[in-house]
Amino acid sequence: MKFLVNPSKFNKVADYVFLPVLILSIILFSIGLIFSFYLSPDDYQQGSTVRIMYVHVPSAWLALLTYAIMTLYSIAGLAFRIPFGFIINTAVAPIGAVFTLICIISGSLWGKPMWGTWWVWDARLTSVAILFIIYLIIIFINLSFENRIVREKVVAIFILVGSVNLPIVKFSVDWWNTLHQPATISKLSKPSIDPSMMTPLIIMTFAFIMMGIAIAILRIKTEIISRKSYLS
Amino acid sequence: MIIVKDLSIERSNKKIFENVNLSLGSGKIILLKGKNGSGKTTLLKALLNLIEPSSGAIYWKGKLLKKNLNNFFNNVTYIADRTSSLSKLSVKENIKIWKKIFLSNISNSQVENILKTLKLDIYLDQKVNSLSFGETKKLEFLRLIIENKKVWILDEPLSNLDNESIDVIAQTFEDHRSKEGSIIFSSHQESEINVSEEVLL
Amino acid sequence: MIILNKIISFYYREYKLNLSGFQDILTNIIFFFVSIFIFIFSIGPDKETISNIGISIVWTLLLLSSTLSLRKFYQDDFENGNLLIMHLNGLSFGFIAILKTFSHFIFVQVPFLLSIPIACILLNIADDKLIYLFSSFAIGSFILSCLGSISSSMNLMNQRNFLLGSVIVMIFSVPIIIFSVGIANLEEDFNSLISILFGILLIVFAINPWASGLCLKLSLENN
Repeated sequence: MKFLVNPSKFNKVADYVFLPVLILSIILFSIGLIFSFYLSPDDYQQGSTVRIMYVHVPSAWLALLTYAIMTLYSIAGLAFRIPFGFIINTAVAPIGAVFTLICIISGSLWGKPMWGTWWVWDARLTSVAILFIIYLIIIFINLSFENRIVREKVVAIFILVGSVNLPIVKFSVDWWNTLHQPATISKLSKPSIDPSMMTPLIIMTFAFIMMGIAIAILRIKTEIISRKSYLS
Repeated sequence: MIIVKDLSIERSNKKIFENVNLSLGSGKIILLKGKNGSGKTTLLKALLNLIEPSSGAIYWKGKLLKKNLNNFFNNVTYIADRTSSLSKLSVKENIKIWKKIFLSNISNSQVENILKTLKLDIYLDQKVNSLSFGETKKLEFLRLIIENKKVWILDEPLSNLDNESIDVIAQTFEDHRSKEGSIIFSSHQESEINVSEEVLL
Repeated sequence: MIILNKIISFYYREYKLNLSGFQDILTNIIFFFVSIFIFIFSIGPDKETISNIGISIVWTLLLLSSTLSLRKFYQDDFENGNLLIMHLNGLSFGFIAILKTFSHFIFVQVPFLLSIPIACILLNIADDKLIYLFSSFAIGSFILSCLGSISSSMNLMNQRNFLLGSVIVMIFSVPIIIFSVGIANLEEDFNSLISILFGILLIVFAINPWASGLCLKLSLENN
C-alpha cells in the first residue's frame, strides 16, 4: 500500500492500473447506461425521470467521498508530513467540484418535472450547494497563493476546518429546513428501492468511481511532473 | 553562546547556502556579508527558529536551539529590515508601548538621552508616519536599549542611515560588546564598525 | 506573573492601536446603518414586512459588516513585523491567535452590540425580542471573531485575492445565521438553541488557536 503515500511508487502503480481502469469504466458505463435506459422499469410515480437518479446519486456519493479522501490526505500531509497528501489535495479538488456540479445539475433537471421548479431550498440541495462552494474556495485558494508551500498547507488546513464545519452546516441546514417547511419533497430518500433499480445504480456507481480514479490518476501524475519541473 | 554547525538551507528545493559555521560568543560582533539574495536574512531567520534547516544544527548555550527556545527568546532582540513602530501613534506612545511589552524598567531620562543622541527628541509628540524612513529606522534601534537583552540579531541595520547615525550605532555596539553582549548583523555595504568576525555568504 | 503582564501589555497595545484607528470602527458601523437604509429602500416602507424580516436583516448586515474589518485582523501586524516581535517576546502563535480574537471581539464586535438597539428601533423590531437578538449576537459575534481569525490568518500570504477571506467566513457562518435568527424568531426554544450556539462556539474556539497558529507560523516562515 506504499503507493498511496509515495509519489514514485504511485507513478509505477498508476502506469499499470490506468489503462485497465479506463477500459473498465468504459465497459461499466456502457452496461450501466444500457441498464438504466432500457432494462430498468419506470417508476410508478416519477415515470421516466427516475433514470436521472442513476447519474445523480453516484455523483452525490462521489462528491462526499472525494471530500473524505481529501480530509484523510490533509491529515496525512499536516500531521505525518507526507507531501504526497498535498499533491492529492490539489489534484482531486476540481474532480470533487465537478461531481458536485453534476449532482446539482442533474438534481435540478429532475426537480423541474417533479417539483415544477429548478431549485427548492430543500436541506439536501442547500447543503450540497454549500459543499460546492467549499470546493470552489479550495480551488481558488490553490489559484491565488504564489508560494507553493504556504498554499498547499493552507488548503489542507482549510479542508480540515471545513470537515469539522461541514457536519455542523449540514445539521443546521436540516434543522432550518424542518423549521421553515414540513418535509414533503424528499422522495429520493425512499427507504426501500426495487432490486431492478438497484442493479443499474450499483453499476453506475462503480462506473463513476472508475472514471473518477482514471481522471484522478491523470491529474495526480501531471501534478507530480509539474512539481518536479518546478524543482529543477 | 550561539553555535551554528554545518548549516544548509533549501527553500523550494533551491539551495540557498551550504555548510555555514558560526560561533557567536559573548563580547563578539559578527558581520554577515553577501550579495542580495545570498541568504543573509534567511540565516538570521534560521537563528530565530523560523526556518527549518535542511541539514546542520544550531545550538544555544550548549543545547539544541529548538529544545531551549524559551530561554533563547528571553535573551534575544531581533530587528528586521522593516520598521515595527506603529505609524498612527506618536513616538512617545510607541516608546511607552514598547516599555510595557518588554517589561522594561528603563528610566525616562535614559530614553531621552538616547533620543537626543539619535536626534529624535524634537519629534517626541509627532506621529511616526510623519518621520522620514531613516528616522523611523533610528527609532527602531531604541528597542535594543529598551529590551536590554544579551544577543542582538539585526537585519541590515545600516541601510538608509547617514554617517552620523552610523557612528552612534557603532558606539552603541561597542558599549554592548563591553557589557559581554553579542551582536550578529547583516550588511551589504562597507562600514567602520569594528567587528570581530566577518562571514561571507 | 510575567505572562499576565504580557497579556496586559498586549491589550494596552491593542487599545492604543484601535483608539488611533477609531474612525475605521465607526465607518464599519456607518456601513451597517447605511445598508439598513438601502435594505428598507429596496423593500419599501411597509411596516409589517419590515418588522417580519427585521431580525434577518440585522443579522445579515452584522455578518457582512464584520467581515469588512477582517483585513485589519493580522495583516498590519504581519506586514510591519509586530507579529514576529510578539512571538519572540514569548507568546506562542496559538496564544497570539486567542488574544487577537478577544481583542477583535472587544474592539470591533462590541460597538456593533451597542448599535443593535438603534437598528431595532429603525426596523420596528418588538422590544421583547431585543434580549434574544442581543444574547444571540453576543455568542454569534464571538464565533464570527474566531472564524475571522482563522480566515484572515489563512490569507496573510494571499497577495491576489483578499475577498476570499470574507467568503470563507461567510460560508462557515451559515449555522450561526440559522440558529441566531432562529433564537430571535422562536422564543420558546430559547434555551436549547442558545446551547447549540454555545456548542458551536466551543468547537470553533477549540479549532481557532490550532488553525490560526499554524497559518501564522506558516506565513512568517515563508515570508
